[in-house]
Amino acid sequence: MRKLINWRPAKGALAALGCAPFVLVLIAYMVASQARLEVNPNDKMLPAFASFSAAITRVAIEPDRRTGERLLWVDTAASLRRLGLAIAISAVIGLTLGMALGALPIAGASLSPLVAGVSLIPPLAILPILFIVVGLGELSKVVLICIGITPVITRDIEQRVREIPRELIVKAQTLGASTWQIMLRVVLPQALPRLVSALRLGLCSAWLFLIAAEAIAAESGLGYRIFLVRRYLAMDVILPYVLWITAVAYLTDYVLGWISRRAFRWHFLGQLQ
Amino acid sequence: MHHSAGLRIRFTAALLVVGAALLAHSAYGVADEIKPKFRVAWTVYVGWMPWDYAAQSGIMKKWADKLGIEVEIVQLNDYVESINQYTAGKFDGCVMTNMDALTIPAAGGVDSTALIVGDFSNGNDGVVLKGKDKLADIKGQRVNLVELSVSHYLLARALQSIKASEKDIKVVNTSDADIVAAASASDTTALVTWNPQLSEVKKLPTAHEVFNSSQIPGEIIDLMVVNSAKLKANPKLGQALVGAWYEIMELMSSPSPAGVAARTAMAKASGTDLAGFESQLKTTRMFYTPADAVKFTQSPALANTMQQVAEFSFMHGLLGEGAKSAGAVGIATASRTIGASANVKLRFDDSFMQQAVSVKP
Amino acid sequence: MCSVGFRGARFAGTSWGNYSSVAFLELTNVWQEYPDQVVLERLNLMLEAGEFCVVVGASGCGKSTFLRLLLGEERPSRGRVILDGKPLRDEPDAARGVVFQRYSVFPHLTALANVLVALEFKQAPLTARLFGRTRYAATKRAQAMLEAVGLGAAAARYPCELSGGMQQRLALAQALIAEPRVLLLDEPFGALDPGSRADMHVLVRDLWRRHGLTVVMVTHDLKEGFSLGTRLLVFDKVRHDPQAPNAYGSRVTYDLKLRTNPLTPMTHANRAAALRLASIVPGHAAPG
Repeated sequence: MRKLINWRPAKGALAALGCAPFVLVLIAYMVASQARLEVNPNDKMLPAFASFSAAITRVAIEPDRRTGERLLWVDTAASLRRLGLAIAISAVIGLTLGMALGALPIAGASLSPLVAGVSLIPPLAILPILFIVVGLGELSKVVLICIGITPVITRDIEQRVREIPRELIVKAQTLGASTWQIMLRVVLPQALPRLVSALRLGLCSAWLFLIAAEAIAAESGLGYRIFLVRRYLAMDVILPYVLWITAVAYLTDYVLGWISRRAFRWHFLGQLQ
Repeated sequence: MHHSAGLRIRFTAALLVVGAALLAHSAYGVADEIKPKFRVAWTVYVGWMPWDYAAQSGIMKKWADKLGIEVEIVQLNDYVESINQYTAGKFDGCVMTNMDALTIPAAGGVDSTALIVGDFSNGNDGVVLKGKDKLADIKGQRVNLVELSVSHYLLARALQSIKASEKDIKVVNTSDADIVAAASASDTTALVTWNPQLSEVKKLPTAHEVFNSSQIPGEIIDLMVVNSAKLKANPKLGQALVGAWYEIMELMSSPSPAGVAARTAMAKASGTDLAGFESQLKTTRMFYTPADAVKFTQSPALANTMQQVAEFSFMHGLLGEGAKSAGAVGIATASRTIGASANVKLRFDDSFMQQAVSVKP
Repeated sequence: MCSVGFRGARFAGTSWGNYSSVAFLELTNVWQEYPDQVVLERLNLMLEAGEFCVVVGASGCGKSTFLRLLLGEERPSRGRVILDGKPLRDEPDAARGVVFQRYSVFPHLTALANVLVALEFKQAPLTARLFGRTRYAATKRAQAMLEAVGLGAAAARYPCELSGGMQQRLALAQALIAEPRVLLLDEPFGALDPGSRADMHVLVRDLWRRHGLTVVMVTHDLKEGFSLGTRLLVFDKVRHDPQAPNAYGSRVTYDLKLRTNPLTPMTHANRAAALRLASIVPGHAAPG
C-alpha cells in the first residue's frame, strides 16, 4: 500500500476530479431547490433553473419595463467603467509613487511611513468622509476603489524597485544615464510586470470596494442591482449576477495575464530559470 | 419600521444568503417537543421597541408560560435581512411594514398574517429638499433614498400629490445607514428617509421637509407578521404575542412611574433618551388599545391603502416575474379581499386582537 | 597586545615598478575606514594610461572596496583619487565603465537594446530613446559592437536566453560602446566554467589591445591575474592584531610589472616571483 502522499491522479482522472466538486454543488442545489419548491412553489430562496433562464432573459435580452434598458449590460458597463477608471488612476499613481519611493532614497525615507500608514486605513471606514468631500456621485466610487488599492500597489512597486540589483543602477550610471533616464529605461520597465501582477491581485479588492460603493449609493451597476433586488429576495437575479461578476472578474484577470506574458516575455523567460 | 441606525451593509452576507442561510434551513424540521418553541425577530424602530421590552421585562415569558409554549424574541441588526430570514423560514414571526410584508414574504409565496397592527407612520418618514422649500421643486432632481422601500412609496405618493411622476426625478439608491452622511454631501439636494435619520437630516441648515407621512396617514403601517400556517397550527402563539403586546401598550401609554420606566427602558434600548424617544412617538400613531387597532384593521381605508401599495409594488416589479397584474398576490382584509382570491398570501387578521379587547392579563 | 607582522615587506621594495610617465589614475594616501573596521590603509598608487592592472588578494582583503572607490560608489575616508588630472567624481559616471560578476546587463532588454541603450542615454537626455535616422545609425554601431564580442547572431535574444559567458560578453560590449576612460572589471569571469573563461580571456586581451583601454580588474584567481595583466597588485594586511582583526586595513603588498604586451609570455624572473607569491597568498594555485 503506497502512502497517501504519493497518490497521484491519473491524467484522465484529473479533469473528472476537478469537475466533481462543481457537479456535486450543482446536484446539492437542485435537490434542495426541488425540496423547497415542492413545499412552496413561489419560493424565492432557491429558484429552479427555469427561473434562472427566465430571469437572465429578462435582465439581459428584454428591455426593462420601466426604463427600456437591458439591465445586465447597463449594469456591467457602469461597473466596468468605474472599475477601469479606478484601476487606471491607481496604476498611474501607484507606479509613479512606488518608483519614486523605491529608487530615490530621499523619497523613500520621507514618504514610505506615510504610505504604509495610509495602506492600513480601512477604506470603508472613511466612506462618510468621502461622501462629504467628493459627494455621492461616480467620483466617490472611483475614489473609494483608488484609496483601497493604490497603497497596496505603491508598496508592491516600491518593494520590486528595491529588489533591482544595485549593480544595474550603477551600470546605467557608468553608461552615462541621469536619474531621469534610469527611471525611464531601467526602473520603469522592471516595475511594469510587477504592476500587472499587483493589478491582478488588486482587482479582487477593487471588486469588493466597487460592490460596496454601489450598494451604498448608486443608480446602476452590478452591485447596485444585487442590493436592490435583495430587497425582495430575487435570488433568480442575484445568483446569475454573482456568476456573471465571477466570470467578468476571471476574464479580466485572464486578459491581464495574457497581456503580461506577451509584453514582458523577458520577465517570464527569466522566471523559468 | 425600517432599520437600526447602526446598520452596516454586509455585502458578503447578502452574496452568501443562498449558501449559508438556506442549505442550513433544509435541515429544518424539529420534532415536536412537549412545549412548542417559537422564534420571532425584531429590529430597532420606535414602534417596535415594545418587543425588546417584552423580552427584557419577562412579560413575553409570562404569557408564553401561561399558554404552555416558548417564545424567543431575537433582535437582528439588519431590517431587510430579518425579513429575508423570516421568509426563508428561520423565524416564525417578524416585524415589518405593510409594503414589505406584501413584497417579500407574500410575493415569495410564504403565506403571512399581520397579527398585530402596531402603529402607522405619522411623520416618521419625510421628503427633504436642500435649499428649496416647495415639494414642486423636486422635479428634475436626483433623489437619494432606499429604493423599493417605504421611502420610495412615500416619494411616489408625494409626486402624485403634485401630479408628477417618477419620470420627473432620478432615484439614487442610497443605504439608510449612510443617508445622513450622504445628506451632508454638497451634491445631494433631495432625499427621502425615516426616523431617526430623518430628524438628523432635518437639522442641516438648508434642509426643508416638504412632504411627510402624516400627509398620507395610515398608509405606512408597522406590523407583527406571523407565518399563517404556524399560526393556524398553534393559535397559542398568536394569543401569547397579542397578550404580551397589549399588556405593554397599556403600560407604555400610562403616565404612571411604571409607564415612564417602561418608556425609559425602550428609549435606552433604541439608543436615545426618554425625551428623544417621546419626540419620535409624536410622529408615530401608536394603537395603544386593541380596540383602536381592530377599528383601523376593519376600516375600508386599509383595503384601499393595500390596493395602492400593490399597484406601486407591481409597477416596480416587486411582485415577482410571474405577476401579470397588481392583483397577482391576494391580500385579505376585514373589509374585502384585494387581488387574486385563489392566491391570498397576506392576511390582515384582527381575530387575535379582538380576543385581547375582552381578555385582561 | 599588538603583534605586528611584516609579511612580504621585502618584496614590496623590489617591485619592477618604475613608472616615469604621467599618471593617469593616481591614489594618494587613501584610507577606507568604517566605524568598526579599517579596510584599506595608506594606499599610494599610480596607474598609466593603457595599463591592464590586475588586483588579487584573499577574500576580505579590500579589493572589492578598492574597486568601489574607483567606481565612485564609495568615497574614501582619507586621501584623494585623481583621474586624468581631475579629482574623481564620488558617484558613478561615464568616465568609468564596469563589468560585474553578475547583474551586469539589463534583463528587460535584448542584447542589441542593451548595447543601444548606452548610446540612447548619451544622445537623448530627455526620452532616453532614439528615433529615425539617429536610431538607425546607433543601431548599426551597437550591432557592430555585438559582432566584435561575438554576439552578432544573438542580437535579438534576452540576457536570460544567453549563457553566462555570452552575458559577460554582452556586458563588455555595453561598457565599451560608452567609451569609458577606464574599464573596471569586478571578478568578471568568476561565475564562468573554465572553457568560457579561457575564451573570455582571449576576448578581453584582444579588446584591451585594440581599444587601447586602461583596465583595472579584480579577481581572486592569481593565475588569471598573471596571464592577463601587465601589472599585478596584491592586497594584504601588513599589520595584524589577533585581538582586533579589523583594527588594521590592507595595503598593496606586491606590485609587479609583468609585461608591456600581454601577448608576450612572462619573464623567468616574473615566473619565479609568481611561484613565490602563490605559496604565500592563501588559496591560490601556482601560475602556469
